[in-house]
Amino acid sequence: MVLLLGFFFLPVVLTSVFAFTNMSTATGISGGSYVVTGNLLRSLKDEGLDAKTIDALGQSSYVIDQAGLEKAHAAGVDARFITEIAERLKDRSFTSSTAFERELKTLPSRPTRVRDLKIAAGAFEQSVLNVRYASRGEMEAALTHMLENPPEGAIEKVATASYTGWTWTTENFKNLVITPDTWRIIGNTVFYVVLTLAFNVLVGLFLAITTFYLPPAGSGFFSVLWLLPRITPVVLYAVMWKWFTWEDGFVFNIAQDLGLPAFNYMKGSVASAWTVVILVNGFVGASFGMILFSGALKAIPVQQLWASEVDGASRWQQIRYIILPHMRWPILFVTSYQTLSLLSSYEQIWLTTNGGPGSTTTVWALEAFKTALNNYTGNLQYGLGAAMALILVAVGLILSIVYLRLFRFDEMMSKPKIEF
Amino acid sequence: MQISINNFTKTFDGTPVIDDMNLTIRDGEMLALLGPSGCGKSTTLFTISGIHRMDKGQLMFGDRDVSGLPSQKRNVGVVFQNYALYPHMNVFENIAFPLTVRKDNKADIDREVRFIAALTHISELLERRPGQLSGGQQQRVALARALVRKPDVLLLDEPLANLDAKLRLEMRSEIRRIQLETGITAVLVTHDQVEAMSMCDRIAIMKKGEIVQIDTPADMYSNPRTSFVAGFLGNPPISLLNGIAMGNTFSIAPIKLRVPLGSHEGIADGTPLKLGVRPEHFGPEGDIAVEGKITFAETQGRENLYDVELADGSVLRSIQPAARNWKLGEPVRWFIDSKSAFVFSDDGLRL
Repeated sequence: MVLLLGFFFLPVVLTSVFAFTNMSTATGISGGSYVVTGNLLRSLKDEGLDAKTIDALGQSSYVIDQAGLEKAHAAGVDARFITEIAERLKDRSFTSSTAFERELKTLPSRPTRVRDLKIAAGAFEQSVLNVRYASRGEMEAALTHMLENPPEGAIEKVATASYTGWTWTTENFKNLVITPDTWRIIGNTVFYVVLTLAFNVLVGLFLAITTFYLPPAGSGFFSVLWLLPRITPVVLYAVMWKWFTWEDGFVFNIAQDLGLPAFNYMKGSVASAWTVVILVNGFVGASFGMILFSGALKAIPVQQLWASEVDGASRWQQIRYIILPHMRWPILFVTSYQTLSLLSSYEQIWLTTNGGPGSTTTVWALEAFKTALNNYTGNLQYGLGAAMALILVAVGLILSIVYLRLFRFDEMMSKPKIEF
Repeated sequence: MQISINNFTKTFDGTPVIDDMNLTIRDGEMLALLGPSGCGKSTTLFTISGIHRMDKGQLMFGDRDVSGLPSQKRNVGVVFQNYALYPHMNVFENIAFPLTVRKDNKADIDREVRFIAALTHISELLERRPGQLSGGQQQRVALARALVRKPDVLLLDEPLANLDAKLRLEMRSEIRRIQLETGITAVLVTHDQVEAMSMCDRIAIMKKGEIVQIDTPADMYSNPRTSFVAGFLGNPPISLLNGIAMGNTFSIAPIKLRVPLGSHEGIADGTPLKLGVRPEHFGPEGDIAVEGKITFAETQGRENLYDVELADGSVLRSIQPAARNWKLGEPVRWFIDSKSAFVFSDDGLRL
């Protein structure tokens, strides 16, 4: 039971946890270290860190101190030369390599080869750029060493920004709110869910009622026919739609023969792309609805249908006053179930239009999937993706509650028939 | 309105259910279609309502030929065996349904529904749902719904079958009262002869898709045309003895029983015959003596029922006042009232 609950809730819990981090491929999912890189300096500059500090961080300086002397010794620099450096230049510092090297060249025991001179100079170089520090303390110490009179909070800011691991953050949600794309995708998602849902329920109802009035032989055939989208594997089904709508496909050729504009209907225009997306998902859901509705229709006592006919109800009035009220529960079920599955479904869209043309048919779930798991740039933003998924979960929960209220679920659930 | 069915034939999946039936229901009368299950009585009812269509034949409502019309255009009211109330509508909406789909205006609907609800004594139930009603109340709602648009004919399909014994008695007289008050032509389908006899002006007894006899209950009882009709009416049922014609009498030689045939003269000796004796025409008083033994005795309070087994094994039923009790196994010498006995030919036709 505990395991069951664990497996049931773990994905949601993990999603919630990830949603409040900035995890990505770059940060990894374990800890990181502290590095100041050229890129970081550029983005710090964009964020308004003062130019003096940036310059200071970006530059190297040469300080003749004990640590430098030891480093030079380790690098195999001639011992006499090191002694001369220590005696003559001790505690002096240079802001550029050229000035330091010029000074070095004045020493008597200087090496003849330029390369050796540069090795000797390099030993005294001091810079934070591209140096990996294991802890924040070390990074801060290095920064303090590098910067003279840094502005208030600058060190902390740089140290925080230089962390390469993941951190806790609510930035994901802030970013989502301020990105204009978010609202586009929300619009797309609402459009997609509402239209596909309407297609599911209405076509499902239409098919169920039509087959209900058909003679049994015909209705059996029809039921199986409409089940095909449901029983075809998703990938195969999507591929068939591609053949159907792509250049030189079925629709393309027919349109050409009829003199209509022939193009790639799947990705060629926004309207046709949406049509394809809604039909692809709509037919799958419609067959699902049809099965449920057909079952519910058969459960209506035939005397009630007879009674309504005798009472003078036309076919349409019979459907409206007798059949549809009996279908309230299955309609609620299909509506709520399909809303939730459509909200979180993206595989058919991914396999057909892949959100295109542009990102016109990109829905929330597809965007979340791409952000977190299937990104062109290669930097998978787990944290942002999880935040998007978490919003989806929240919306789903709210919708379920609304549906239950709307259809007065408690009224439909009668008291248990079996008493304990 | 007079309803006539002419040369009506109906087949289900190749099996003939009704074959060339003719029936006329007079204006304002209540007619019972009575018969065992599978005799085609419900089929006939549903054909009148238009739920089933005729394969052959003609159906007339007055002067109007409705054979080809769907049930929506026939103006009939039907009370189904399980009432078929619409569970998602309250009583008012249920009764109003035939008027609602006809798009009558609200005030008219309200007036009509309240009028018919008063007639069927359910005025205080209008807000309830069918699920909150007892069987008898549901029955009344179904009746009100069938009557509300003043149908040409009221069709009742075993309306009392789902009620308990006491309610059945009550609804029996209620339905009859409402039918008489509205003066509507009505057809009642039932397999219960008591229902048919107590409620209806005339009874049509059906057997295997044919109408065997159509008559008033009293005539039907006292003058059955066949042994089937005689056996169907009356509780406890009539007893039938097998014998032969012998010297202008019905004779069972082994037990020396001879019952004079009276007016039925000229039947050749040796012709096989059946003698029908109703329980009330066999007892301690009568003219033809029969000896036997009591093999079954049942007390019903006011009366006792007895089965008397004769020497050849045939059985005569008797119903007697409870004043004197005969015991099981007791030998008796009782009498048949020969004038009230029916004589049938071997194939069941009344002579």
